[in-house]
Amino acid sequence: MGISDARRRHGPGRAADGPAVGTDLEALICAVARGDQGAFEAVCAQAGRAVFGVVRAVVRDPAQVEEVCQEVLLEVWCAASRFEPGRGSALAWVTTIAHRRAVDRVRSEHRSAARQVRAASHHVDYDEVAEAVEIRLDCERVRRCLGSLTSVQRESVTLAYYGGYTLRQVAALLAVPEGTVKTRMRDGLIRLRDCLGGM
Amino acid sequence: MRRLRGPQAHTLAGAYALDAVTGADRARFERHLAGCQDCAGELRELREAAARLAAAVAADPPAHLVERAVTAASRTRQWPPDTERERGWRPVWPTRRGGGLRRGGGLRGGGRPRLATAPGGARRAVSRRAAVGGAAVFLAAAAASGAVAVSAEQHLGADQARVHAIAEVLNAPDAVMVTARVTGGGRATVVTSRRDRALVFTAAGLPAPPAGAGYQLWLMGPAGDRPAVVLPAPDHGMTGPVIATGVKAGDWVGLTITTAGRMSGHLAAQPILMLNLA
Repeated sequence: MGISDARRRHGPGRAADGPAVGTDLEALICAVARGDQGAFEAVCAQAGRAVFGVVRAVVRDPAQVEEVCQEVLLEVWCAASRFEPGRGSALAWVTTIAHRRAVDRVRSEHRSAARQVRAASHHVDYDEVAEAVEIRLDCERVRRCLGSLTSVQRESVTLAYYGGYTLRQVAALLAVPEGTVKTRMRDGLIRLRDCLGGM
Repeated sequence: MRRLRGPQAHTLAGAYALDAVTGADRARFERHLAGCQDCAGELRELREAAARLAAAVAADPPAHLVERAVTAASRTRQWPPDTERERGWRPVWPTRRGGGLRRGGGLRGGGRPRLATAPGGARRAVSRRAAVGGAAVFLAAAAASGAVAVSAEQHLGADQARVHAIAEVLNAPDAVMVTARVTGGGRATVVTSRRDRALVFTAAGLPAPPAGAGYQLWLMGPAGDRPAVVLPAPDHGMTGPVIATGVKAGDWVGLTITTAGRMSGHLAAQPILMLNLA
């Protein structure tokens, strides 16, 4: 099936945010599991923005961002039959793959000299991340909910998610014990979940 | 983080949902997760929250991204559904006799009951039974056999780099070891580090290949079949260790006899070993 056929069949992509995407994306991934390439294109169009966004936030380097995005989308294609609709949303399934691949990439790069130099200047790194997150957070709802977290909760969550930092690294960056970061991450996400669910 | 038992492991769900837990802690949490329904439920919800963080930074990818992904997909075999018996990407290759290899079970890792699943799940499944300590034992054994002799003066820079790279993989925090019987005799041991996207292969008791032939290692997976490395001649019954880089998610490692006696670029012969790395 040609790409244009696929577009006609599955309609144009929509933003990967908001409740409407969920069920649609779910059905599409189930179709992808049966080898439907048109559905796959539609999945890329719908979830591609979130994939690209999260990979870019974590990986940064444009060339690598594209590479990782390709890996993510190909994994979505390959693993579609493993998606279980009853066990979480389609968007969460896709973005979980995306985030994991993104952090895998930056962590395997970690030993490179450049990154070690950057890692040596923690504060610069954190400011960069914080700034980037601030600028790119165009979803008002999420921004407001993040704002409702305590600063340690927010920083723990955003450094891990958008910065791709490990628990240990976040603890070092924030100069608080790992145990504290661990609970703040969980509390932060729970609060975020409650806040987003309640809006 | 020292211990992750009971409620302490539970509190790691947030960090885990953010992919901030690594190495042995991750394996431990996943082990805990397997037996904790509440944790699994909570993790699901926290992942939904994390997904909203992804959606919040959503941005238009370059136009060619989707096009390339669609093209790549059209050339890529999908994984079968994750059932109890059939887990993970399974390799297919041309076979002259037809029918392909259906005896995967006998060739897989050392009597382990289950194979790994998709890249994400697979890695966890493997880490659960990971023998990171085993990697050290393996290294010691390899060194004792003289295979990883690091007598610097005798080695050129490239050899040193190779030995160093092998040690890196063996010492990687996420190193997992699998062993399997080789059809025709011998036992293969593979230590894989996803972090390094590399594996170290060694075998004991491989029969000498026919004259002019040799053993060749392959990486086979969703990314295609890639020739990896030709094994050196056995020394005191020990072959390798050799390192293969560029390991990708879902890869299997395959071993063939190459009659050319040099690296073959095309997988023609039926592998005598297929091992799931996932």
